[in-house]
Amino acid sequence: MCGIAGIMLKDSSEPFNTGEALVNMLNGCQHRGPDSTGFALYGQAQENKLKLRLFVGQGKEADTAINRIKKFLQEQGATIVDDEHVGEAYRVTVNFSGDIQKFSYALEHAAKVVSIGNSLEIIKDVGSAEDVDGRYNIHNYRGSHGLGHVRLATESDVKPEAAHPFWATGFADVAIVHNGQITNYWKMRRRLEQRGYEFRTDNDSELIAVYLADKLSQGIALKEALKTSIDDLDGTFSFLVSTKDEIGYAKDRLAVKPMVMYETDDLVAVASEEVSLNKLFPGQALNTKEPPPGTYNTWSRST
Amino acid sequence: MVPIDLGKTSVREGNEQIRQHGQNGEDVEIINPDARHHIGVGLVHPITVKVHGSAGYFCAGLSDSARFEVESNVGWGVGDNMYSGSVIVGGNAGAIPGVAIRGAEIVIHGNMGSRAGQVMKAGTLCCAGNANFMAGYMMYGGRIIILGDSGEKVGEDMSAGEIFVGGKVEDLGSDAELTDIDSAEIEEIMEFLDRYEIPFKGSFQKVVNAGKKLRYATSEQQMRSIPFFTFSGTSDYWNPKIQEDLYIKSQIGRYRIRGYGGARPLPHLSDLAFKKDLSAAGNENNIVSKVKMSTEIGGINGANPLKLSMPVMIAPMSYGALSASTKRAIGLASTMSDIAENTGEGGMSDAQRGAAKQLIFQMLGGRLGWNIHDMNRADGLEIYISQGAKPGLGGQLMAKKVTPELAKIRGIPAGIDLRSPSRHPDILGADDLVIKVEELREATGYRLPVSIKLGAGRVRDDIKIAVKDGFDFVELDGMQGSTGAGSAEVIDYVGIPTLSAIIEALDALEEIGRRQDIQIVLMGGIRDGVDAVKALCLGADAVALGTSTIIAGGCIACMQCHVGQCVTGIATQDPEHEKRYEPEVEAKNIHRFLESVRWQIAAITNGLGYNDVSQLSRDDLVALTPEAAAITGLPYEPQYGDADLDIHVRSVV
Repeated sequence: MCGIAGIMLKDSSEPFNTGEALVNMLNGCQHRGPDSTGFALYGQAQENKLKLRLFVGQGKEADTAINRIKKFLQEQGATIVDDEHVGEAYRVTVNFSGDIQKFSYALEHAAKVVSIGNSLEIIKDVGSAEDVDGRYNIHNYRGSHGLGHVRLATESDVKPEAAHPFWATGFADVAIVHNGQITNYWKMRRRLEQRGYEFRTDNDSELIAVYLADKLSQGIALKEALKTSIDDLDGTFSFLVSTKDEIGYAKDRLAVKPMVMYETDDLVAVASEEVSLNKLFPGQALNTKEPPPGTYNTWSRST
Repeated sequence: MVPIDLGKTSVREGNEQIRQHGQNGEDVEIINPDARHHIGVGLVHPITVKVHGSAGYFCAGLSDSARFEVESNVGWGVGDNMYSGSVIVGGNAGAIPGVAIRGAEIVIHGNMGSRAGQVMKAGTLCCAGNANFMAGYMMYGGRIIILGDSGEKVGEDMSAGEIFVGGKVEDLGSDAELTDIDSAEIEEIMEFLDRYEIPFKGSFQKVVNAGKKLRYATSEQQMRSIPFFTFSGTSDYWNPKIQEDLYIKSQIGRYRIRGYGGARPLPHLSDLAFKKDLSAAGNENNIVSKVKMSTEIGGINGANPLKLSMPVMIAPMSYGALSASTKRAIGLASTMSDIAENTGEGGMSDAQRGAAKQLIFQMLGGRLGWNIHDMNRADGLEIYISQGAKPGLGGQLMAKKVTPELAKIRGIPAGIDLRSPSRHPDILGADDLVIKVEELREATGYRLPVSIKLGAGRVRDDIKIAVKDGFDFVELDGMQGSTGAGSAEVIDYVGIPTLSAIIEALDALEEIGRRQDIQIVLMGGIRDGVDAVKALCLGADAVALGTSTIIAGGCIACMQCHVGQCVTGIATQDPEHEKRYEPEVEAKNIHRFLESVRWQIAAITNGLGYNDVSQLSRDDLVALTPEAAAITGLPYEPQYGDADLDIHVRSVV
C-alpha cells in the first residue's frame, strides 16, 4: 500500500538533480504511505567498482557490523575505496570484479545488504520523504535516473529492511518499487528458488525484482520480461523497475493500482498520482496518461 | 469570478472558501490546482467552478448542483456521488470517473480510466475518447456514452442503465448484452452532445443488462420455524438444524441465505467472569447516579464527538433489512436513552433522522442511499469495510424486500435480489482509503467523526491500517454478530470471535504504541450490560448492541429475516406485515431494555469498587475456560463460573 515514483532524463550525459526530484514527487503522495520512504539512485558507473549499501544500525551494534563487513571484504579480495556510516546504513565502495551473485549471497552472512551495483545505491528508512532526506541528504544527489517509494505497512513490520525500493538480491543494479500485492508469491518464489536464487525477505516486491533480474540474466530484454511478468504474476500491482540504463513499468490486468505517466522528448516521469508529477512542474497542466490495464513499457537513457 | 490560488491556499481552506462563495452565489476559479485532491467536494450551491489546470482525486465529489469545468486532467473518481450539476473535463480522467453519480452529467473530452460509472444510479457519463476496462461495472442506472472504444468487459455485472458505444465494443462483461436502439434514444444522445458541443457523426451500439444474474435461480422456501435457540443447540448429530439444512439444500442446490448470527458455540464474553464477589452489587438505591457512565466517542482528532450517556450505542442495521417502523422505534429508543443510532447500509430516511438524536450515517461499497445532504445532517460518518457475520462479503437483500420505495432511496431497480458489492469502488487498499477518509472530512468541513466498521478477520493488520488512515474510532465486529441475510456457511465459519477480535486489536495497537489514537467500539453478540462491562474491562471504549435491541423490540429469533415476511413486522418491507409493528410501543420496550443495560453497567462497576466506567480494567476478569484463557491471557479460574451465572440471572430478574 504505497506511492511510487520514477524519473529518467532521456539524455543523461549530464547528471541531474535526481534526488531532489524524487523527494519532491514523494512529498506529493506522502499520504499514500506515512511509514517509510526509500530511493533507488543511479549515478556514474565505474568499471570494476562496486557500490555496496548495508544496514548496520547505530552505535556499538554498527561498529561490530562494520568490522564484520570489513573482514568479509578482505577475505573476498575486495579492497575498500571509500566508506561512510550514515544513519542506519553503511556505504562502501570496493574494487571487485568477481561473481556478484556469489559475492552477495556470501556477504549476506556478514550483514544485511540493501543494494549492490556499479551505479545503483538504495537508501531507505522509516519516516517521511522529508525525514529520510534530512537523515541521508537525498536532495543533493545528482545522477541519471531513479525510483522512489513511500510505504504504508499493511501486513509486515515498519522497519528499514521492509521499506522499498527492493534490490534484486544477487543482481547488480536492478531495483524495484511496487504498489500492490502478488498473490501467487509462494508459488513463484519456489520456482525461482529451484533455479538457485535466494530471498532475503518475505516481501513480494523482492520477488518481482528477482523474477525480472533472472530474465535479464538469461539475456531477455527488460521489455520482454515485463510482458511475461503480467502473465506470470497474479494479484494487483503497479510497479517500476530500474536497471543501469533503463526504467520500465508494468501494470496488472485489473487496473486496481493507480499510475500516471508524463513523457516529453527530454524526460519520462511516472508516479502513483498526477499530484506528484505536478510537484516537478508547479502551475502547469501536464499532458499525462494513465497506462491501461495489463500494459508495460521501458525507456532507455542515451549517454 | 473569484480566484482561489491553491499555490497559496490549502485545499481545506480553499474548499471552505468555495462553499462560502457558493452560498453567496459567486462563481469561482481555481488557480494552480496542480492535480490536488478533493477540489470542490461537498459544494451544494449552483455556482460555476473553473479549474485552470488538472485536478486530483474526487474533484466535484459529494456535491450537488454546481457546474465544474476542469481545463486539463482529473484523477480518480471525478464527480463521485454527484447528485445534479455537471463536470466538464478537458483532458483525460483517471479510474472510476462518475462513480456512484445520482443524476449529474460528467463529460470527459479525452479518454477515461477503468471502471467508469461504477455503481452509478442516474445521470450521464460521457467520454469523447476511449473507455477502459469494465466501464459500467455494477451500474444500477443512468447512461454512459462512449464515443470511442468500449474497453474490455463493458457492462460487467450491471443491474440496469444503458451504455452507448460509438467505437468498437471490445468485449462484453458478465451478464451484459447488445440490444437494439430506438431513434428517440439516438436523438437524446445527439441533443446531449450538441449541448456540450461535442461533434460526432458515427452510429452507436447499446449495451444493457442481460438479466441472467439479477435473481437467484431458485428461491429458498420458507421453512417451519426453528428458533435460533434450538437451531444453535449443541444436541446430537442429526438434530433439527442439520435436517433442515439438508432439506433446503436438496431443493435449491446452493448455499443457504439466512438471517441472524453464527450458530456454533464459540469462545465469548460469557467465558469470562468477574474476579470479585458481586452478590451484593446493585443492592444500593440510585446506583445509576453513583457511577459516571457518560462517554464521548469520535472526538480525539477534533471532530464533534458523539455524546453517549453510557458507553453503549446501537449497532448498524439498515432500513431495508429492517422495516421503517423498526428503524423508527430503535431511533426513538436511542434518543430516550441518550445514545447513538446508526443507519447501516441503504440510506437515511427523514423518519430515521427525526427519531434519533444522534445518528451515524454509514457508507458502503454500493453507495446505496449515500449522498451529501444526508451526510450534512448526520452526527458521524462511517465507512463500512466488512461485518462480523460475513466478513469480506456484501449485503444481501432479497427481491421481496426491494420494494419501489426502498429501491428509490437506494437508487437501484426494484425487485432484484440485491447483492451489494463486497468492496468499495475507490477503496482498493489502505492508500486509497486515506484519500477517501479525507474526502468525507473535506466535504463536511471536518465537523463529523469518521469511523470504520470492521468485521473481525485479520484484525491485527486492519486496526493498524485504521489508525494510520486517521479514523476517529473503529466499530469492531466479531463473528458472533448477526445479519439480516447472509450465506449460512459464512455466518457460521468465517471470521474470528468477538473476544479474539478485541484482544488482537489491543495487542496490535500496543505494538505500534498508538492505543490513544483510535477508540474502539466492540460489537458482535453483546447481549446485555454484563457482557458490556466485560468488554469495557478488556479495553473497549464502548459497545454496540444490535440483535439484543431487536429482540427487546419484539423479534422472535426465527432466523427468516431474509425472506421479507417477518411476522412481527421487523424484518420486512411488506405493509401488511409492518402494520403489526407498533413503533411507539416497541420504542419504549427497547428503551426499557437499554435502561436495564445501564443499571447492569452501573451495578457491576460499583460492585467492583469503582465510580467511573473508565476505571474498569482487565484485572477485574478471569477466564472460565482454557480457550478463553488462551485467547485473552487472563488467568484460568473456572471456580468463578457460578457467581457469574448468578449475576446474569439476578440482573435479568
